[in-house]
Amino acid sequence: MKQVQIEKNALPELIQRWAQSAQVVAPVKKESYTAFEVITSPEEIELERAHNTRYPLKALFLPQSEVLFRYHNGEYLPAEAQDSTRVIFGARPCDARALTLLDTVFEEEGSHDPYWKTRRAAASVVGIGCDQPCESCFCTTVGSGPFDRSGLDVLVTPVDGKYALEAVTEKGQTLLANLPELSASEQKQVEEIQQRAASQMKAAFDPAGVRDKLYAIFESEYWKQVQQSCLGCGVCTFLCPTCFCFDIVDETQRGERVRNWDTCMFSVYSLEASGHNPRPSRLERTRQRLMHKYAYWLDHIDQIGCTGCGRCVRYCPVGLDIREMIRRAQAWEEA
Amino acid sequence: MHKNGNNPYEPMPMRIARAYYESNDRSLKTFELVFEREADCKRFFEAYNPGQFCQLSIFGKGEAPFGIASAAWEGEFVRFTVQKMGTFTQAIHRMKAGDPIGMRGPLGNGFPLDEWGGKNLVVIGGGCAFSTLYALTKHIQHPSNRATYNELCVIYGARNSGLCMYKSDIQSWYGREDLQIHQAVDVPEEGWLHHVGYVPDVVKEVAPSPENAVAVVCGPPIMTKFTLPVLTDLGFAPETIFTSLEKRMKCGVGKCGRCNIGPEYICKDGPVFSQAELQALPADI
Repeated sequence: MKQVQIEKNALPELIQRWAQSAQVVAPVKKESYTAFEVITSPEEIELERAHNTRYPLKALFLPQSEVLFRYHNGEYLPAEAQDSTRVIFGARPCDARALTLLDTVFEEEGSHDPYWKTRRAAASVVGIGCDQPCESCFCTTVGSGPFDRSGLDVLVTPVDGKYALEAVTEKGQTLLANLPELSASEQKQVEEIQQRAASQMKAAFDPAGVRDKLYAIFESEYWKQVQQSCLGCGVCTFLCPTCFCFDIVDETQRGERVRNWDTCMFSVYSLEASGHNPRPSRLERTRQRLMHKYAYWLDHIDQIGCTGCGRCVRYCPVGLDIREMIRRAQAWEEA
Repeated sequence: MHKNGNNPYEPMPMRIARAYYESNDRSLKTFELVFEREADCKRFFEAYNPGQFCQLSIFGKGEAPFGIASAAWEGEFVRFTVQKMGTFTQAIHRMKAGDPIGMRGPLGNGFPLDEWGGKNLVVIGGGCAFSTLYALTKHIQHPSNRATYNELCVIYGARNSGLCMYKSDIQSWYGREDLQIHQAVDVPEEGWLHHVGYVPDVVKEVAPSPENAVAVVCGPPIMTKFTLPVLTDLGFAPETIFTSLEKRMKCGVGKCGRCNIGPEYICKDGPVFSQAELQALPADI
């Protein structure tokens, strides 16, 4: 699609233009990390850090805690519609791709989640490709890449003192209206940057056959070994851009029915009223997490349910590395 | 924001028309709910298939899933039998006729009745899991449905006679010519005229023929576990044995993630599965 360009120092101007008709959400600097927030001025944007935001992009569409509805004196009161127009600037392609995976859950044919759908329809996502992937990144291994366009309306490629902007969707074209086009030679340069970034990333493992192997070792000792150091803290799932499990609880004092992120790494997650728990130990829970991403997602939509963002690798307090877990599974042979 | 009907989390307003204890020990209570809005009622009965479940909802207490225990022809109400177990079921047990309550559903797939036409049906239930089988049996009993199916054999066991549900109705089934009923209690009891023993043993004793038949098994996991091999020994193929599963469920519409067995969600792809389908899934039950 159409490629346009702006000088790097013209970015604030473009963002201000977007801000006239939408909330602009972008990564801002926090103590030791970055987070997506509504910005009031383009100077707040923090793009120089190579690392992704701590919370994934999904949090803007499936908030960690969200009011489904309120009730008062036994009466149902609908929640306010979350339909403000938003331009999300500075998303990474792995996070945007994750949105397309979650769309298959929340916008499943005949079974829409209205909260997700409303937010998705009201947002445009402007992503920045990663010309310097991090050590923990492995998007190319799982079928994505540092300039993956899925889930994006605009893809931005940093080139010398400029940004090359490619409209991926009609929403994206609207955002890029009246900007100067990229010359043919510059376009070639952009492609080279994109290809170079992808080629710099080493394969973390061979994804072919992962699903079948995990099914084959479902009852094996592998799980006992691989979960040994896991604390069951659940950070890998909370910060995962494709994890979507939630709990529904009533906040009695506020009179709200709320959904909160939940995690398959907790024992109460699957504990039944009878006392029976189908996943009583970390073994079953670790197995569920890995198999969901690398087997069940494939069964559903033939795509790995991991976009290689590397958050679970970076934030695991005991250094468990999902790439290493998959490699060990692939090498596993029954004694 | 959302009109009713397109927000899957919005409970329909219902009212408890009848509430009565189902068991002598008051651990089981039956509720018959009626609709506050005509449109909800219409939509519910257009969609309802025996074997489905609903999320019952009490503002301030949350929600929990229960199998539907009534057939559509019984009237414009929805029946549930609730065993007192946790916080939600304790709260609902305190409710009485006239109280408002919320309901979402019907949810899940229900029994594959279209595939069962012309077949002999063997219905095997234990404990309060018999509720959806009661709905199934009631559905089949209706004169306009009865001719669709061949013979109907119902085997229903409870720990003791005090825990037997739908007593007076089931008692009247003994005189009927359109079905065979076998009731059992676990241990001998004075005055008990029917089978004594665990459900798997009773199934062995009754020995239903697998010829042109399907078997439906709903009960506590331990009962199901020991009944399936009995059916296999009798000659039932895995494709002809059906069971209904339960797991902790929150949304009931395949979004919240927690009720999966392998790639299947109990709430959306189930709760009814054939044994053949279950055999293809990882052992995560």
